[in-house]
Amino acid sequence: MASAGSGDEKAAAAAMITLISSDNEKFEVTEATATLSQTIRHMIEDGCTDGGVPLPNVTSKILARVIEYCKKHATAAAGEEGSSSSFSDAAFLEVDRAFLEELEEFDDAFLEVDRATLFDLILAANYLDIKGLLNLTCQKVADSVKGKTPEQIREMYNIVNDLTPEEEAEIRRETQWAFE
Amino acid sequence: MAAPPPPPPALMDELIEEFLLRLPPEDPASLVRAALVCKPWGRLVSCPRFRRRYREHHRTPPLLGFVQVAVGSNSTYLARFGSTSSFRPPCAELRGWIVIHSCHGRVLCSPPLFVDEPHEKRLVVWNLMTGEHQELPRLPWCPYPGESWKAAVLCASSMGADCSHLDCHRGPFLVAFLGSLHDKTGASVYSSETDAWGEPTFPPGYCGHHCFLTRALVGNALYFNTMMDTELLKYDLSTQKISAINLPPQASGWDIVLMAMEDGRLGFATVQESKLNLWFKEDGQDGDARWEQSSVIELDALLPVEALSPEPDCADGGGVIFLWTSAGFFSIDVKSRRVKELGLKGHGFFFSVVPVTSFCTPALRMANTGEGSGAGASCA
Repeated sequence: MASAGSGDEKAAAAAMITLISSDNEKFEVTEATATLSQTIRHMIEDGCTDGGVPLPNVTSKILARVIEYCKKHATAAAGEEGSSSSFSDAAFLEVDRAFLEELEEFDDAFLEVDRATLFDLILAANYLDIKGLLNLTCQKVADSVKGKTPEQIREMYNIVNDLTPEEEAEIRRETQWAFE
Repeated sequence: MAAPPPPPPALMDELIEEFLLRLPPEDPASLVRAALVCKPWGRLVSCPRFRRRYREHHRTPPLLGFVQVAVGSNSTYLARFGSTSSFRPPCAELRGWIVIHSCHGRVLCSPPLFVDEPHEKRLVVWNLMTGEHQELPRLPWCPYPGESWKAAVLCASSMGADCSHLDCHRGPFLVAFLGSLHDKTGASVYSSETDAWGEPTFPPGYCGHHCFLTRALVGNALYFNTMMDTELLKYDLSTQKISAINLPPQASGWDIVLMAMEDGRLGFATVQESKLNLWFKEDGQDGDARWEQSSVIELDALLPVEALSPEPDCADGGGVIFLWTSAGFFSIDVKSRRVKELGLKGHGFFFSVVPVTSFCTPALRMANTGEGSGAGASCA
């Protein structure tokens, strides 16, 4: 009995992963949360997570936000898996809808950040290969550009216009419909 | 002393690409304006790699608008493009022609049916993306007038190799023509590469006189439904054979709209008692076709109450069906069941509408300057 108990404890302990931010802060997360990142999933599969996973490209401030996202989405994914076998179709749909609505609200609130944080989240999502987070954050940037003129986009994202006035005028002539 | 806050991080080229990929395809003007922000963005958006990824990301070509037949000021008929997106063609009208079909930004038109010379079939292909229109050489034979024929414009790579349909509105095209004459049904194919019609084929296996209604391109074959109750016609573009395909007993050839399903199968839609029924053809032999009903959509619940007697008018390959009702023209996305009112007016024989779906990603000249490194250099 005792050996079985210690085995369970060992399994539970093994299911926790330590992530280490660039400023050396440690975050304990479950494997289910951590493996939303394909990068970390591969490290776990290769057995390279003993002593923690150093993430030199991600600060503690951003890593905390990323973990917040992963926790929520890992819970939602587990909830969906569990519910599919224990509910009737109608009840399952109801639960499913509630999950999705809650997740959408979470995502909307999650994106209420300044532009520098948003960019850092995109970089982290890309580095950690978290598809959902990359999609969410990039879509936010895409939405911010929608309906804007090139001048407005340059101003928003501090981009230098390297087109000569002649080049710009010529392209505008070719694509006049997009400016009407 | 505290260090000054770091400047906002610059987005790496790779990540600029990630967010530009997510600009909505039904708003192609956004992508054009983003391309004009600076040279690296312009090169990135214009490069084939980005355009291929954009297509893969969004999968279904967006609805850009419709071409509809309208009556001009001096009672001439004209084909007119009405936009449902931010896309605007260089020229939105083609006078003296009515619309027959559209595929990936090309529109096939013929003269109004009663104007047509009895022994000459004229057709024009209007390229909405470039504004050019090209009248085809006269068809070497002529079917009976009226609804005794149907034609479709296709990109040339529909035959044989797969086409990514990225730039096919700039590439070669085909026009396939099926018609009935003297109790025979025949086909001809025009190729823009030779600017000529191929020899007409009147396959011995299939005869009979038909009134053609709608068509769908699935794989290498065009399917037509006719006034016949029980069968469809299939024209195989590679073998040039015409064959018949049985319909399920619950459907009649004259009140269905054919469509290419998203998964590449043949399907059709029909409305019975305000229920939209969707069917798809199972894999297997055409001669003994097996059909399965995929879903039933209750239109009463989706359309406004004043929308009486809905009637399917046309469909596109992206799982969208268009319906005429007494309250106007609507589109229904089969998967999400989202309904959109499209604000088109007019109904009846001369007022048929043809949806125009196509990706519309800019290929700006700055992409070819080869200046600098940046995004342009990374394009395959």
